[in-house]
Amino acid sequence: MSGSTSITYLEAIRLAQQKALAEDPRVFIYGQDIGGFGGAFKATKNLAKEFPGRVLDSPISEDAMVGLAIGAAVEGMRPIVEMQFADFSTCGFNQIVNQAATLHYRTGTPCPLVVRLPSGGTPGSGPFHSQSMEAIYAHYPGIVVMTPATVEDAYTMLLEAIALDDPVIFCEHKFLYYHLKAEKLPEVALPFGKARITRPGRDATVVAYGAMVHESLAAAEELSQDGYDIEVVDLRTVRPIDTDTILASVARTGRLLVVSEAWPWGGVASEVIARVATEGFGLLDAPPQRLNAKETPVPYHPALWGTHRPTASTVANSLRQLLEL
Amino acid sequence: MFPSPDSKNLIPIIMPQLGESIAEATIVRAAFSVGDRVEADTDLLEVETNKAVMGVTAPCGGILKELTAAIGESYAVGATLGYLEISDEDAERLGIHDAPPPPVEKPKRKKEAGTAAGSSGSVKKSVEPTVSGLPVPAHAGGASFLSPRMKARMAELGLHAADLAGVAGSGAGGRVTIDDLERFLQDLERNTISPASSMRVAVADAMRRSWTRPLATVVLPVQLDTLLAHRRKQTVKAGPALYALRALAIGLSEMPATAGRLIGDRVIHPRSVDIGFAVEAEDGVLVPVIRHADQSPLADLVERYNRLVELARARRLPGSDTGGSIATITNYGVFGLTMATPIPLPEQTLLLGMGAGRVTPLWDESKKAFVPVTEAQFTLSFDHRVLDGGAAGRLLQRVADLLNDPEKL
Amino acid sequence: MSKRSAAVPKKSPATSRAASPATTKAVREKPSAGSVSTLSKEISRRAYRTMLEARLLEEKLAALYRSGKIVGGVFLGRGQEALSVALGVHLRRGDVYAPLIRDQAGRLAFGDTILDTLRTYLGSSLGSMRGRDGNIHRGRPSEGYHAMISHLGAMVSTVCGGLMAKRFRGEKGAVGATCIGEGGTSTGSFHEGMNMAAVEKLPIVVVVANNQFSYSTPNDRQFACADLMARAAAYGVAGRRAVGNDLIDCLEVIGIAVSAARAGEGPQLVVADLLRLVGHGEHDDASYIPAALKKSPLGEDCLELARKSLVEKGWLSEKEASEWHKEVEKEVDETASKVLREPAPDPSEEDWNAFSVLGRGDG
Repeated sequence: MSGSTSITYLEAIRLAQQKALAEDPRVFIYGQDIGGFGGAFKATKNLAKEFPGRVLDSPISEDAMVGLAIGAAVEGMRPIVEMQFADFSTCGFNQIVNQAATLHYRTGTPCPLVVRLPSGGTPGSGPFHSQSMEAIYAHYPGIVVMTPATVEDAYTMLLEAIALDDPVIFCEHKFLYYHLKAEKLPEVALPFGKARITRPGRDATVVAYGAMVHESLAAAEELSQDGYDIEVVDLRTVRPIDTDTILASVARTGRLLVVSEAWPWGGVASEVIARVATEGFGLLDAPPQRLNAKETPVPYHPALWGTHRPTASTVANSLRQLLEL
Repeated sequence: MFPSPDSKNLIPIIMPQLGESIAEATIVRAAFSVGDRVEADTDLLEVETNKAVMGVTAPCGGILKELTAAIGESYAVGATLGYLEISDEDAERLGIHDAPPPPVEKPKRKKEAGTAAGSSGSVKKSVEPTVSGLPVPAHAGGASFLSPRMKARMAELGLHAADLAGVAGSGAGGRVTIDDLERFLQDLERNTISPASSMRVAVADAMRRSWTRPLATVVLPVQLDTLLAHRRKQTVKAGPALYALRALAIGLSEMPATAGRLIGDRVIHPRSVDIGFAVEAEDGVLVPVIRHADQSPLADLVERYNRLVELARARRLPGSDTGGSIATITNYGVFGLTMATPIPLPEQTLLLGMGAGRVTPLWDESKKAFVPVTEAQFTLSFDHRVLDGGAAGRLLQRVADLLNDPEKL
Repeated sequence: MSKRSAAVPKKSPATSRAASPATTKAVREKPSAGSVSTLSKEISRRAYRTMLEARLLEEKLAALYRSGKIVGGVFLGRGQEALSVALGVHLRRGDVYAPLIRDQAGRLAFGDTILDTLRTYLGSSLGSMRGRDGNIHRGRPSEGYHAMISHLGAMVSTVCGGLMAKRFRGEKGAVGATCIGEGGTSTGSFHEGMNMAAVEKLPIVVVVANNQFSYSTPNDRQFACADLMARAAAYGVAGRRAVGNDLIDCLEVIGIAVSAARAGEGPQLVVADLLRLVGHGEHDDASYIPAALKKSPLGEDCLELARKSLVEKGWLSEKEASEWHKEVEKEVDETASKVLREPAPDPSEEDWNAFSVLGRGDG
């Protein structure tokens, strides 16, 4: 593709898996079409060839895929399960939340598996190929939920996920797969569980994750034309949430907007706001606001999809309202 | 999107959507050359994504007029790769020359007179709600709104809204922002500052709280000659304030509701006619109390009164002798003031004030001449929620009448 | 298709038509030529003793439940001890075992103890689950003894995962084992697990205890194929039938299945008919089980039958059986008394953390 030296978000994921497979014999990948075909998104391109017998095509059985990964993890392996789409992970939901998440608490034996979820919407992908599942999994104690928004984070956080002893839901954003590029991969990363101040500011804080970080940055840019300095915080992990960084940011700005691509009810945005309201009430100059997808299944037509989830302009709009409060 | 000027029937060849999250593709091969005639639905170009090799299809039959894409280069989904010249019939069928549809009537946005971009002031663009029913808190706008952040900071500094009365707010609706506050405080440092005593702060707090009520004052001139004559005849003399205290006590025993308090929709009646009187002590005012002032004649109260005055002046007033009074007397006449509008204590409805007595001419109709009389203005300051001018006036008049009949006190 | 041999039908669907489960007699079938029997006096005696332990332990649990001492539900395996123990005794250290609800006997055979069983049921903080889960949900996964989750069928793929791990590491000779009721075979996860086991050709032995009722649901509301054995062919795995309440038959058939798995012949399905001799839980009186069924050969008590068989074979004397009974009873009683005095978990001592690293969870 163009820019042969630059690495896409997708390629970063592929490289992370390659590194893990190369350096740790306990790692294997299980998913549909990931072997010779290299995966629906090519996230495992060439890996089956490079690491024979460790990148396996599974039947369409999300429940058994996760069950198998759990059994293998208990025996000391470090499995990665690739769900073809986050939306299909609900077929394996039971194993994830009732076995993987509870195993350590109930038995003392950790369950070090990673479930990769290609998440989020792209134009035309429709209700069953667009979902953002982070809030649902984060709700269960025992599950780590990661939502990298940059090429660098996609790389380092996937490696981190594999190294963690606890089950990780790795929400990689489909829209970012080819749209985001970086020149090189990092050697160091922010510590696990820390959010990043992607753009420092003064007048309001936007907390976002995944693709919404980029929409928020664009909105911040737009508002800077009018003299507003907006701070953008990238959560990086949805569970654990870096409440300290968020509170410090709100302490600086006094105004909070949380943006999420998922639906509002019980979502990540409401969790962030609950924490700020409970622990940082005295920091707020205005009621905290949230911006989420519209309360319908994700529509298929790009014209509808374009307004279903937050965009740079709706984020900017919400910010303007927030700044007036 | 519209045809170039030198040919009227051109349609663009667009890079199609090539799969989930694919953003671009590389041209691998052109199946035709410029000038070739092509049929509809034939593949014009071959493009490669990292998943597969796919074709770009002619949307219509025609002549390949121009190929802007180069072999080996990558183009984004939706990019124009070339142009196809089509027949007039096809152009008609596809409607490529139709005028663009009229713009959809958008709801009018309120425009603010904005300054040019780049100015230091913030230009607020008009805003349309993203979420319907976006809640704006009832008192979020307006100068008096204090956000949780402001409240927290003010609590930290021990400030009240009254302290900020002089601050012009730059926030939404004129409210005081954190920045306004910090700037204001910094500015104060340029003045001479002395610490306020704890009594000063306590009085400030009491007055601030009292002032949250609607207060009013009525005035009545009272002749003092009879009272002064009475006083001269006593061996143990009572101060003028004590005369007023007894008069008020009797008046209140007759109309106790005037000293009641309004809480919500209920008038709380006083339990006993305990009346306080203001005594100036060092850097402050103390208010000793005569309990059951309605039940003892003036003569019986003199000793008690004088002792209380001494204790107050020495700031050795016991707790049992202060607090719990239902009204207060203040004699601002000792400062030479003829009139004042003092503020009742925050837990009381009435404050009876006494101005300085002066000899003043009064028209005597029977003598058809001005005669000298000693007169003082008496004021009754009151919480207007509990009583109106009429009731206040009647109470004050009763006090005046009693002062002119000192044997009754 | 032969009912006993290790044929792995790949192409033709099963055609065996067994008699309807409700009338199956407790008939022992003769082993076909060529099958390997691992039956021995030693294994049989151990199996019987373990069945006795399971039975007496569960009677104790029932008594404790009725006297209000048990925390949570009690689900017993009375009537299924023979089938369960037959799987457990053929397993060894290094195998991966996921027992289910009525597998007290199998668990004890695999290495679980009367002590930990009582501790888990009575909610002692000293039990392996430390009060965080109870009754049949106990296990020690790091030792290959999985702690089941309630969602039936889920453990099939989990056992497969353990076997995959061993395969990745080049370890040979281990088998996986799990037991499930006929009701559990209706779940999607059972289907996915079996299919995956077959595709991956894993050495898993799945024993289906067809005890005719899933809670109160009779078989004709559970599946429509004439014989559950047909599923073996459908999955592409070997299928065998055992007489569920006949210890000797179970030991033989399951022994063959386990050897076949160990020998690399892929997944082994064993279907056994029997009858649950208790309610679904101790809160259930199982009045929906027809009296006629209880009186039929299917309803004969496997413990009784086992004792008779072993005595007949000269592998056990009545005297021994009687002594064992007393010994086990004593052990169960003493252990129960001890455990009843043990402390319950203290909420203020808990770290209330679901992650393996403290502090990770409060984010």
